[in-house]
Amino acid sequence: MVEIITDSICDLPSQLTEQPGITVIPLNILFGKEFYRDGIDLTTEEFYRRQSEGVVIPVTSAPTPSTFAEAYDRLAEATDEILVITISSELSATYKAAVVAIGLMKKRCRVEVVDSRWAISAEGLIVVTAAKAVRAGANLDEVVAVVQRSIRRVDMRATFDTLEYLKRGGRIGAASVLLGSVLNVNPIITIRNGIIHPAGRERSRAKAIDYLCNFAMSYSHIEEMAIEDATTPGDAEELAERLSAKFPKERIYRCKTSPVIGTNTGPHVLVLSLIGDR
Amino acid sequence: MSQVKLLSGRELRDMFVAATDWLEKNAPEVDALNVFPVPDGDTGTNMTLTMRSTLEEAFRAPDHSTSAVAEAIAKGALMGARGNSGVILSQIWHGLAKGLAGKELFTGRDFAKALTIASMEAYKGIDNPVEGTILTVAKDMAAAARSQVDNGEDDIMLVVEAAVKAGRESVANTPNLLAVLKEAGVVDAGGQGLYTILEGALHYLKGEVAEAQLGKPGIIVSNVPMLAKTAQMMAADENPYGYCTSFIIKGQELDPDKIRLKLKKKGESLIVVGDKSVVRIHIHSLDPGGVLHMATSLGTVHHVSIQNMDEQHQDFVEAQQGDIPAADIGVIAVVSGEGLASVFTSLGVMAVVPGGRTMNPSTKDLLQAVEAVASDKVIILPNNKNVILAARQVQALTEKTVKIMPTRTIPQGIAALLAFNSELDMETNLQAMKKARLAVKSIAIARAARSTQLGKLQIKRRQPIGFLDGRLVAVADSLVGVLAKTLARLDLAKAEVITVYYQNDSGRLEIGPLIGSLREKYPQLQIELLRGEQPHYNYIVSVE
Repeated sequence: MVEIITDSICDLPSQLTEQPGITVIPLNILFGKEFYRDGIDLTTEEFYRRQSEGVVIPVTSAPTPSTFAEAYDRLAEATDEILVITISSELSATYKAAVVAIGLMKKRCRVEVVDSRWAISAEGLIVVTAAKAVRAGANLDEVVAVVQRSIRRVDMRATFDTLEYLKRGGRIGAASVLLGSVLNVNPIITIRNGIIHPAGRERSRAKAIDYLCNFAMSYSHIEEMAIEDATTPGDAEELAERLSAKFPKERIYRCKTSPVIGTNTGPHVLVLSLIGDR
Repeated sequence: MSQVKLLSGRELRDMFVAATDWLEKNAPEVDALNVFPVPDGDTGTNMTLTMRSTLEEAFRAPDHSTSAVAEAIAKGALMGARGNSGVILSQIWHGLAKGLAGKELFTGRDFAKALTIASMEAYKGIDNPVEGTILTVAKDMAAAARSQVDNGEDDIMLVVEAAVKAGRESVANTPNLLAVLKEAGVVDAGGQGLYTILEGALHYLKGEVAEAQLGKPGIIVSNVPMLAKTAQMMAADENPYGYCTSFIIKGQELDPDKIRLKLKKKGESLIVVGDKSVVRIHIHSLDPGGVLHMATSLGTVHHVSIQNMDEQHQDFVEAQQGDIPAADIGVIAVVSGEGLASVFTSLGVMAVVPGGRTMNPSTKDLLQAVEAVASDKVIILPNNKNVILAARQVQALTEKTVKIMPTRTIPQGIAALLAFNSELDMETNLQAMKKARLAVKSIAIARAARSTQLGKLQIKRRQPIGFLDGRLVAVADSLVGVLAKTLARLDLAKAEVITVYYQNDSGRLEIGPLIGSLREKYPQLQIELLRGEQPHYNYIVSVE
């Protein structure tokens, strides 16, 4: 069976990531001199509490190649096919670390590293399709083909109440045009070709949620959907409820935005990711 | 600078510095040419990055002898080679270093000889050399340099000049040799890159500092009749491209020829270059894992890079097609008042045309703004019904595409601007902006300019009056009172955002209690107050 490795950016709920066959490599967070592994040493709640205290500004770093290499070697004991799906290489050095790690492996095993070109739950849904293909008995080449197809079909929109965190993290990309507004606006962003792009701006949180809702409603057919929030489960629930006519609520993956992403978005991020046809 | 007869290693290095700068300027254009072997649009970037690594090493040369610098150049290129073109380039510099080995100083004759060895080495590194590529251009340049020397010329400048001239013709001829270039209507990207490098070196030799700093290299236009450009540039066959895999093996007694033989069946575009201790490998393979496994059995593996070319190609094609024309829409707004102007500017308008007290700029004022902005497509937000007509006049007076979004109030203008997305095309934007414009309610509060009667409303001069979407709907004895009355005509329980643009600080103070009671009565409301400094109107309010 193909073993799947992904990074903690994919924000998949733990009931999925704890399944056999999926290994999550954590990114790292530094609060001053304190070092944490995303989702392991630092829970999402604890992170946002500390972030909002604002005493130390957290920074993030990609996993080291050796972290990946250790995972490869460990999994290679039981499999000879490993698929690694990472956050967009434009946003993090994680992809590079995963590739370099191939050269550091001690065991022999075929490893394919795929740059998802996405992040957060959009990346997560790509992992979901890969895991489903593996369960259906696909071999590594077949799973890679499924993943490539998902990369092209997935889409996502995210809103939050300020772009300041994204700007501070240096990842604002083309969405920088949304910066600097004298009025309060809720920016809406997406990812295109691996980097962050502006998708719109709304005057209120309620309108931003309308935007996410309309975005999903514009699809004629939806195969997978994920809704994620960091500290606003009420908004996520409202969105899921409003979309239930379009897509069964119980099939929506409900995700929590990981601290590493939270470092770049702030606590009020709300994300809708889906795979489907317009 | 006078003519140079004998050059040192330091001058060789400076030739490379000039060449790299020159190439760097041209990198995006060279990227755009890239169709062979894989149309992923990165040849110029890869060659530039390879040259940069080459330079880094050149500056680390142990001394300034020609041979030491040339050797450092070859080493830097080998270590930093990126992509197909970069690896071939590194092989060319490897040959150049071979040709200049043992030289303290060098002449035009030495350089011509080194170029010849360089072109031969380039062919040797490749499993199946294809003509109409960088290889052909290298060969033709070397031949021209050699024949210049055979005619008795030993001046380096004239030798390089002959090579550059031959390179230009050779690049222009590449579509005759390689069908995929002809189909795409381009010259070979790698060939163009190599030509540009030598041209940069020639600028240095001629002492053309200003030309090198201010000029820009051009892409050679072929006079070969091109076939029509196809929508999707494809390499000759439509097989999947697989993974562009490159890395370095370090070890002892490595044999590039044996490694080449071993890897031959593992993929396409195989290049193996190097010596006994360091070998650089570049291959397009469907199984990069297998290639790496083989490599680790020979020595230690470094600088591994695996790129999915199908995806790169897809991105390249998408980048060639979409997005590009849409990015150049500019928005111009007619706005009076410093505070309001800064709101519009902060939301991305390219120009603000001051409306003056009456909000009536001339067609000429608008035309000037349209001509001044850097975009060929312009949307005008008149923000007043009296400006819409003047704005429409502009359309006939300019070559630019001008669209009028007929916003009648400042709140409509801001709502429309918020809906604008510079990454979308004109039609999509106009639709979104129209929808946003119609979704907002605009209130304006002012003092009556004269006594009048409007319908049932008796108005005295200087009495506060309230407009809702341009219609006079309320009159009262205080400014705040009339604002409250005007707001009362709307169902605020369904509203989400109220933005109040006040004229001055006393206006802000006076409105405090009203805002407080609104917040209490409608907790869902998000209320924002901003200093608009607009003339005439004490308050402008948007309700969304």
